[in-house]
Amino acid sequence: MPEHKDISPPKLIKDRGSLHPINHMKDSIMEMLTSFGFEIVDGPEIETEEFNFDMLNIKKSHPARQMHDTFYVENKSNLLRTHTSPVQIRGMLKKKPPLAFISGGKVYRKDDDATHLPMFHQVEGIYVDENVSFAQLKELIYKIIYSLFGNDVELRFRPSYFPFTEPSAEVDILSKEGKWLEILGCGLVNPVVLENCSIDSNKYSGLAFGLGIERIAMLKHGVTDIREFYKSNLDFLSQFK
Amino acid sequence: MKIAYRHLAQHIKESPSIEDISNKLLQLGHEHEIDCDIFDMEFTPNRGDCLSVNGLLRELGVFFTIHPNQEIYTEKLNELQLDFENLSESTCPKISFLKLEIDQVPETYKNSLGDYFSDLGLNKNNFFTDVSNYLSYETGQPTHCYDASTMSGKLIFHEIEKNEVFETLLDKKITLTGKNSVFSLNDDVINLAGIVGGKSTSCSTNTKTVIVECAFFQPEAIIGKSVKYDIQSEASHKFERAVDPECHEKVLRRFINIVSKHANIKGVSLISYTYKDNPAHQVPINVKKINQIIGIDISEAEYINYLTKLGFVIDSSFIKIPAFRSDVRTQNDLAEEIARVIGYDNIPNADIRIPKSDKANYKDIENKLRYFLLDHGFYEVINSPFVSLSSDEAIKVDNPLDSNREFLRTNLTNSLVDNLLLNERRQKDSIKIFEISDIYSSNIAINKKRKLALIASGRVGLNYEDFSKKINMKYVSSLFKQILPEEVFDFQLLSRDLLDTKINNEIISLEVDIDKFSNKILAYEEVSSPPDNFNEYISVSDLPSSFKDISYSVKDFSKMKDLQDLLLNYQNDIVKDIFIFDYFKNEKTEEIKIGFRFVFQSKIATLTASEIDVVYNEIVNKTRDIGGISIPGM
Repeated sequence: MPEHKDISPPKLIKDRGSLHPINHMKDSIMEMLTSFGFEIVDGPEIETEEFNFDMLNIKKSHPARQMHDTFYVENKSNLLRTHTSPVQIRGMLKKKPPLAFISGGKVYRKDDDATHLPMFHQVEGIYVDENVSFAQLKELIYKIIYSLFGNDVELRFRPSYFPFTEPSAEVDILSKEGKWLEILGCGLVNPVVLENCSIDSNKYSGLAFGLGIERIAMLKHGVTDIREFYKSNLDFLSQFK
Repeated sequence: MKIAYRHLAQHIKESPSIEDISNKLLQLGHEHEIDCDIFDMEFTPNRGDCLSVNGLLRELGVFFTIHPNQEIYTEKLNELQLDFENLSESTCPKISFLKLEIDQVPETYKNSLGDYFSDLGLNKNNFFTDVSNYLSYETGQPTHCYDASTMSGKLIFHEIEKNEVFETLLDKKITLTGKNSVFSLNDDVINLAGIVGGKSTSCSTNTKTVIVECAFFQPEAIIGKSVKYDIQSEASHKFERAVDPECHEKVLRRFINIVSKHANIKGVSLISYTYKDNPAHQVPINVKKINQIIGIDISEAEYINYLTKLGFVIDSSFIKIPAFRSDVRTQNDLAEEIARVIGYDNIPNADIRIPKSDKANYKDIENKLRYFLLDHGFYEVINSPFVSLSSDEAIKVDNPLDSNREFLRTNLTNSLVDNLLLNERRQKDSIKIFEISDIYSSNIAINKKRKLALIASGRVGLNYEDFSKKINMKYVSSLFKQILPEEVFDFQLLSRDLLDTKINNEIISLEVDIDKFSNKILAYEEVSSPPDNFNEYISVSDLPSSFKDISYSVKDFSKMKDLQDLLLNYQNDIVKDIFIFDYFKNEKTEEIKIGFRFVFQSKIATLTASEIDVVYNEIVNKTRDIGGISIPGM
């Protein structure tokens, strides 16, 4: 005969859903940056050439403006933003320094392969104040990278080129396999960009940085094909609870 | 661009190793890979001046003593008589032509010319073109060689805007369209300026008299042409990034010198045209500003020393920017030069304190909605905005990737239906997904709306309470009633008539503007939380899955724990998921019925019934050892 007549039913496991891993990564980074003092600003994905390129010191002849790199819409009257930097331009036009903005969201470039998609996500930040220096930018980038990858990670700064920053740098981290992996781009805001936003570049200077969310998510989760993120496959998504 | 280590090292007094040079190049911002003592360089687009051996040597001069051993022809040159007219001086403000006649075409190459082809494993073309290519490698200045015997008539440089067929020296026929800068001879295009020369005037292995064109073209006139005409040209790569406008005579004298080492020169003459002077750009010396930008404290002597080594000229209280550094114009540009020389990693970090913003997160409502849906088993998805279907308000992409991605979507639901069908094909029988995104449409102006859309279909959940319940309108609407009892949402029952599927579960959808949700949702207390860690992802199998159920009758309730522990923790490579789909306690008969579902899937091959049975039988046999339970029907 049964010994126990009173028994609890099996634990009821309610199936919880999950945030999309890219949105989760974006939210985590933005939360970290807001804890550093940055304010979130938002802007449109359909932009003008003026805000996406001209105001950012990207010349008319720059290859990024070509039809093979940028999606144009409505008979070239507008474009799909190629980065979230125009959001910061809009922010700088509205607010005077000191200011510290971050913007995150979808951006578009005309690529499509295992490591590049026509739509991907960025988080970018800008801080403008008096006497902002490259040495301070380095300190901020160390804080960001340590928050993302732990304090033991080895990183390096390499000179690079972006029309909207000068000096410009790219930052790599050393992988467990001993390979340097590019993580973000950054630099001091080009004074031309500050002047374009009616900010006195003799008085103020700024730092800026941008991270590709997919790249960081791929590294953190070990995903090798970027396309996996956008198949909406529940077997894939359910791993990110 | 590939540059041989040997071609650099032979000009450096200290004889650095390849690792030494590699480290210094990286410090200066010149990414590269090394393969068999060859640097495969990748330069940023602002550093066209580095696209040569001499360009890199100029950079390395900061760290090493450079002794360029490159002889040039030093004799006086006669003026070349050439019938040439420049009708587009703004595009080509400076151009030189060299005419050179040799007695015999050499069969083998010597010295640096020979090393260039052997060390880099390059194929030879014809003598003059080979010298031209080498000089581009050594000096960074592209030159173009015309066979002088084909060049009778008036040569014109001009901008044309008409459709014209042009045959390149690579035997490729292209139709020039739009605006193009070209050289024409007797009204025929013979050279697409800065991109590629024409076949009709190209040199051959028999050419003994050459006219060498050495020009500066404004990058704006060149950019985009090589992509437009699908011509991969080293010359265009360099002209797009700007070449040194002041180097022509030196380059052409070097050309003569190299030729003279291989053949007897019978005649040589040169003519140079300068349509616009190119005065050196100057920036005031301001070390305080440089120190402030970088956050360091170097002396003026150190500052000047660094810049001098990079080829900058100090003139009283100004820095004169050399012609080859068209990228340097401001104090920030000079600060970057100093920072590169010091090494970005050698610049000490400085404290930074950003004033805290107290502004609330404007996405609070959106985030609350996301967690509410997560709590009820919904998965967040992100879909591409590009679609093939047009609607009256859809925004058209001028240059889509393909015809299937020609418009921006005007709703989220269609994407979610595609997601649903994909997961149904993957044998998912409980599908709950949502997406939040901006949606753009165009009427008179471009409109933006931030929307939430969701789709739910199949079983309510994969647990013994929800397994037998099907998702329907009542289920979904009741979820929202819990948190927003007074708000009315337009849930839809979507038809499957036009969908490519045999499954007939109801599809419930909702698409709504985010701003339709009131602040009341902020009172919802979510159960789910974002994961603390970023899990290592396990690759997903694309092979079909299948399932088997096992139901037990349990009379000895004390065995329930053993049974659950054994089955729910069972591990096998082909068992993907295990859950309790049925549970019933019969008080009258004092018996529990409990059902377990096993989902099988392999990452290697589609599973056969017998492969599944082996595992299934093993599971059954293990539970036989637990007393007090039975499997009805077995």
